[in-house]
Amino acid sequence: MKAILRALRAELAAIFGDPQILSVMVVSLAIYAVIYPYPYRPELLREVPVAVVDLDNSAGSRQLARDIDASEAVAVVARPPTMAEAERLVHERRAYGILLVPQGFERELLRGRQSPIAIYADASYFLMYQKALTGIAGPARTTGVQVQVARQLATGTSRTEALSGASPIALVEVPLFNPAGGYATYILPAAFVLILQQTMMMGLGLVATRRAPSADPLPWRMLGRAGAWLGLYALLLPMYLVVLPWAYGLPWLGHLPALATLGVPFVLAVGFLAQAVAAVLRRAEIVQMVLLSLGMPLFFLSGFSWPIESLPPLLRAAAQAIPSTAMIEGYVRSAQMGAGLAELAPLIRQLWLLAFAYAGITLLLRLGASGSRLSAARPEGRSREAGDAF
Amino acid sequence: MSGLVTAIRREFRLIRRRPALIGLTVLLPLALCVLLAFVFRSGVATNLPVAVVDLDRSSLSRQVVRMLDATPDVEVSARADSLPEARSLILSGRARGALLLPAGFERDALRGARPEAVIFYDNQHMSAGSVIARGARNAVTAASAGLSVSLREAQGAGSLQATAAAQPVPLQTHALFNPTLDYVDFLLAALMPAVIQLMAAAATTYAVSLDFGPGRHARVLPRLAGGLLPAMLGKLLPYTFLFMLILGISDVGLYGWLGVPLRGSLLLMGVGAALFIIACQLIGALCFLLTRDFARAISFVGVILAPALGYMGIGFPREAMPPLAQAWSALIPGTWYIQLRIDQSLRATPMDLSVWPVLYLLAIAVALGLIVLLRLDRMRSALAPATARTARRTA
Repeated sequence: MKAILRALRAELAAIFGDPQILSVMVVSLAIYAVIYPYPYRPELLREVPVAVVDLDNSAGSRQLARDIDASEAVAVVARPPTMAEAERLVHERRAYGILLVPQGFERELLRGRQSPIAIYADASYFLMYQKALTGIAGPARTTGVQVQVARQLATGTSRTEALSGASPIALVEVPLFNPAGGYATYILPAAFVLILQQTMMMGLGLVATRRAPSADPLPWRMLGRAGAWLGLYALLLPMYLVVLPWAYGLPWLGHLPALATLGVPFVLAVGFLAQAVAAVLRRAEIVQMVLLSLGMPLFFLSGFSWPIESLPPLLRAAAQAIPSTAMIEGYVRSAQMGAGLAELAPLIRQLWLLAFAYAGITLLLRLGASGSRLSAARPEGRSREAGDAF
Repeated sequence: MSGLVTAIRREFRLIRRRPALIGLTVLLPLALCVLLAFVFRSGVATNLPVAVVDLDRSSLSRQVVRMLDATPDVEVSARADSLPEARSLILSGRARGALLLPAGFERDALRGARPEAVIFYDNQHMSAGSVIARGARNAVTAASAGLSVSLREAQGAGSLQATAAAQPVPLQTHALFNPTLDYVDFLLAALMPAVIQLMAAAATTYAVSLDFGPGRHARVLPRLAGGLLPAMLGKLLPYTFLFMLILGISDVGLYGWLGVPLRGSLLLMGVGAALFIIACQLIGALCFLLTRDFARAISFVGVILAPALGYMGIGFPREAMPPLAQAWSALIPGTWYIQLRIDQSLRATPMDLSVWPVLYLLAIAVALGLIVLLRLDRMRSALAPATARTARRTA
């Protein structure tokens, strides 16, 4: 018991006594909390600029252009006379969509024939593409339905009948959990989990590379350190995953007990993974470089923004070994979607499994290292940096 | 000049000898690019799982479900008996959405009461959610149009007439520059340079820290190269070459193996790439020169370049960001390099517009270069008395 407490105190002293480690674990955590969310502050994309090429110039086509301008998603910024000029606007990034109304648009409609119009949207930026497309297509579809209903009314059918003839099945789309499609609501919760993981790994990895040797038995020391991590992150994790989302006005449907059941195995898994990484990479600067460069790839590997179903099976399995994969899913499902413990159970199990697995791997690596140290002296420079951490 | 060559030779020798150096500057960035390429290789998300709550169990409702299953975007993975059951499937991640077909669906459709097909989709996972919504929209619209045509035909209209009546204003939608909405073209093509941006800066910080740190260490390389400036150039240029090579290899993967179109000027791409790498390196070098401490320098690099992907306007466009974020993003080399790449690969932008990102890159590189020079100048004056002392002693 004394050995455990000694290790706990030593770990906390190592974190708070070393300005480098403190700056990685606390200061950069604070800086990222400001810098990372800032570009997404407006949440929604509104009034995406589009151009209308109206070759018909009739009452009907002008009305369509007005309807499009009135929609929230897009704004008509230019009415160039030719398609070539409209394309130029897109190349200049001054317009992200083009509506082309061909000559004879109204005449064809009045004759009761199909009268197609064309929408070009810039797919080199997906969000712009979606907004430009829905902003133009919505009013255009409404125009189509209006024309058809008007025709039917003219032949003497009732309004509901006319509407049902046009589209006999009504489609209702219900977006769940992030109904407005806010970008900050979408990306930030996952990003917060990843930032937490990367700064924690970096900080604890640095601690592990700089440890003074100790005579206490390894399992006791590991238990003590785990206690120190849990104590520190009992403060930092709720700051990042409860207070910060609240400060940014993100929806939060979670429960603190659910967050705790996810958070405890997550902190343990990340902490022991950091020990294992430090045991393999050994030198502080290498630990920092590797973890810094892994941030972005791990985010996309977690299957949050790019659906995990679309990953090749082997990568999909490998991604499960990283704590952030399960924690991002668990946290988002709990805090943003309101999932209960029953739905979270597999993810919680996975995090505990990872915590025990990385603790075991750390034990093996350290025991192996101390074994080989007995048989052969390690080359100078390495052993100094590795700092006989355990 | 010969001093510079000596410094470059020494750096390449160092890279060959130190496994850490070659691992961090060459192997790690390459491995990460390969990893990302495999993550996004399929390009479009297909067969995302959707649950179906069919409370009608009629031939029409079954047909809608079949059409939903037939769209490439989604796959009907589960049938739920009630909405709460479907909701639980979505919450646990076993389905990304659910289609509800209410009781009386077919009866209402045939007698013209316009029954509602409801698609619930997980919009918290927005990229998957929008795929589900699109798939369901296509399937239900197709089912509805088919029914509309057959109802009209039953009323005695010809099939062409029936189609014209059902859809008086058909929309032809064109996705400019990326017709299949491929994530490889859109995201991966930007992600690889973003990773290389961070790695080039970090690797430079590491390499510079080996010879420009505090202590007498800092005097070895300048003496060898005959000055601080050739020493710094000799330090940077080998990595410029290596990272150009890494960028080139990842581009062979993108434009060759993964088939991203390359429609513009290779010359502009090359010049832009060189300026981009140099600018990233200068950021890395500057972070170290300002702190003279590797741990703090690498934290700076992280703070500047780890969130850079968000500021580069790939996912959330720059135009929609707050003004300060737009200004900050204009200072990041990747913002302009990605724009150049999108222009030259997907968009085939006219030449007079294409040169602008290259000019911005040039401006950033020159500005960073000047700051590094100023910093080196201060370092020289700090080192000067000491160097003079050692020179006297050796003489």
